[in-house]
Amino acid sequence: MGDATKRLLQRLIRRTRIQMLKTTLEKWDRLTLAQRQSMVFIQSKSAITEKLLSICEENEWTVKHIAELEMIHVMDNPNQGMWYAFRLMDPEDDAHSVELMQFKEQFKSLLHELVRHVSVKIKKHADEAIWIRIAWGDGFSQPNHLKPTYVVHYLQTPFVFVTSITSKQKPLLSQALTVSTRHQDLKNANLSGRKLTAIRDLLMQQYPQVFPTNFPGHTAENNQMESNPRRVKEQAGLEADRLRMAHKAFGDGMLPELESAVYELETKFNGHANGTMTDREQPFRCVVKFTSTNLLESLRQCASSGIVSTVTPLFSSIPRSGKNYFVITNKSHGSSSKTSNITEPQILDSKD
Amino acid sequence: MDGADSKGVLNQLSVLEVRARSRNTQPQQQCCVKELRAKAEALKIQRDQLEAEAQIHKVLHKLRMSMEKQCPHEEEEAMDEESENTQLLQLMARHTQLKDLLYAHHVIGGYDVIKTPQSKGVCMSLTTAYEGIYLDTYNLEIDLKHKLTITRHNIPPFIPLKDLAKQSNMQTNIRAFLDTLSLHLNAFTGRKQQLKFVKEQHQSITVMESNVLCSRLVLMFTVPRGKNAVLCRLDYTDHTRCLPTGVQFVCEDEELLDSPEWKKNCSLLKETPVHKALTTMKKNGSIV
Repeated sequence: MGDATKRLLQRLIRRTRIQMLKTTLEKWDRLTLAQRQSMVFIQSKSAITEKLLSICEENEWTVKHIAELEMIHVMDNPNQGMWYAFRLMDPEDDAHSVELMQFKEQFKSLLHELVRHVSVKIKKHADEAIWIRIAWGDGFSQPNHLKPTYVVHYLQTPFVFVTSITSKQKPLLSQALTVSTRHQDLKNANLSGRKLTAIRDLLMQQYPQVFPTNFPGHTAENNQMESNPRRVKEQAGLEADRLRMAHKAFGDGMLPELESAVYELETKFNGHANGTMTDREQPFRCVVKFTSTNLLESLRQCASSGIVSTVTPLFSSIPRSGKNYFVITNKSHGSSSKTSNITEPQILDSKD
Repeated sequence: MDGADSKGVLNQLSVLEVRARSRNTQPQQQCCVKELRAKAEALKIQRDQLEAEAQIHKVLHKLRMSMEKQCPHEEEEAMDEESENTQLLQLMARHTQLKDLLYAHHVIGGYDVIKTPQSKGVCMSLTTAYEGIYLDTYNLEIDLKHKLTITRHNIPPFIPLKDLAKQSNMQTNIRAFLDTLSLHLNAFTGRKQQLKFVKEQHQSITVMESNVLCSRLVLMFTVPRGKNAVLCRLDYTDHTRCLPTGVQFVCEDEELLDSPEWKKNCSLLKETPVHKALTTMKKNGSIV
């Protein structure tokens, strides 16, 4: 059994909780009945590792088998590692009729053409997502299974989610993806996070949003029913307004769990205290980062509790445009003089 | 003497008492009268207001009746007076007519339009339904500046919103745009529901392939005799329809597919929704 196989298996077991390991092995279904019965999951991890390594020898598994096991594990636990969202641009006419088999064959053959040694595995998830695991090699070395790239794509949508890819590998992946999905280009969507489910729900708009309607649903009635009629809230009107504003920007249900938002400022300095800074023509470069366990929920609470008086477009553009990386510049109004007021900062797409 | 005096005194006292009492009630009556008069005034003003409103309603009703009878071109000729009042009343009549139309449209399951509270825009909500059951509602917020722009929406990304807006020329003919969008959304919801029913009602049939747009379905059937498997491919290339445009069977036993029974199944799948077609096929004994 190869060294690579051993290392991959050891690493997988080390990173997985025992209960999770049991479920994943059952799903993988490559152990014989006797082997399954001999696996005792109450032992320590090192004992389990020994047992699995011996079963691996027995069954003569190769690194590809272990890669498959790892893939099943990652598909069930997608909220680890750092995921980056990309968007496919300029679809061609037949982009809408790309089917699964066609995509799989084309993608694999393209990637094999572009990279001499590469190992590609494609699986379909129950929720119609296509998962791709790529182990990259190059002209001289075999594919490195310890640093695989995972790609998730839903056919007929323009979104692609990628984890662990280097800048050298990105153009190769981009080319293979654009040709096999019949698009012209792959662009950075400026959205990243640890939880794949969160960034996916944000981009595919799969979280409850609130729109004005003539026939408000049952949520308003629920609130009325819960409040005690003998209790009068002092600022009920204001509170209702704040709640409505918060709901309009962020919806009223569960929000996708983003962890951070980054604003890169390239605006002119606008404070009165520091004269030298205001005099400078060049923009004041600064990066502001907001982090939280659930950023959108905390922003919504800020709005509904009154900590912020209005939801600025800087915050509401996170769910609206599905991004969490923004570059802010001043709108240019032809000639700028020293005494001109700072114009409204505008949010640009990132340079990528 | 004493008795007469006391009687007299008592009498005096009682007269005084009566006088005092009557003095107390008199100012009360005056207050009452004042209040009642004020109330009467207020009621009179209210009555005048209501009369004026009723009058406007009558005029509006007349205008609306005439609006509905005539076609829009004749409307302008019929109104001779050019006073601001009549123009305003015309606008009000048109407004109520539109509101009623929208409500009727909403009740029959079409789209609804509401003005967004702060910005200068409207929010259109499109409802989808399949087989008489209301399903998802999709919303579009449109800004009414020089150019109509869609600012916010919750339409899934695989419905080509921007393309539809361009093709049906949203700027000039928003009705056409909304109609095509509604067709796409209803068809998508219909196909999604059919897939859900197939998974729930026909558990002996495996769904081999499907996609988010529900434009492609591959099912695997088992034939009762011989236990052959038949692969069925349904292509919904027309995204505005709930029925497939193409049906293809793949089986090892080619003769089976040439039989009239399976030719009938092919046309059945093209004409009836999937879950119903499968029930019929099971009844006929084509599949298990």
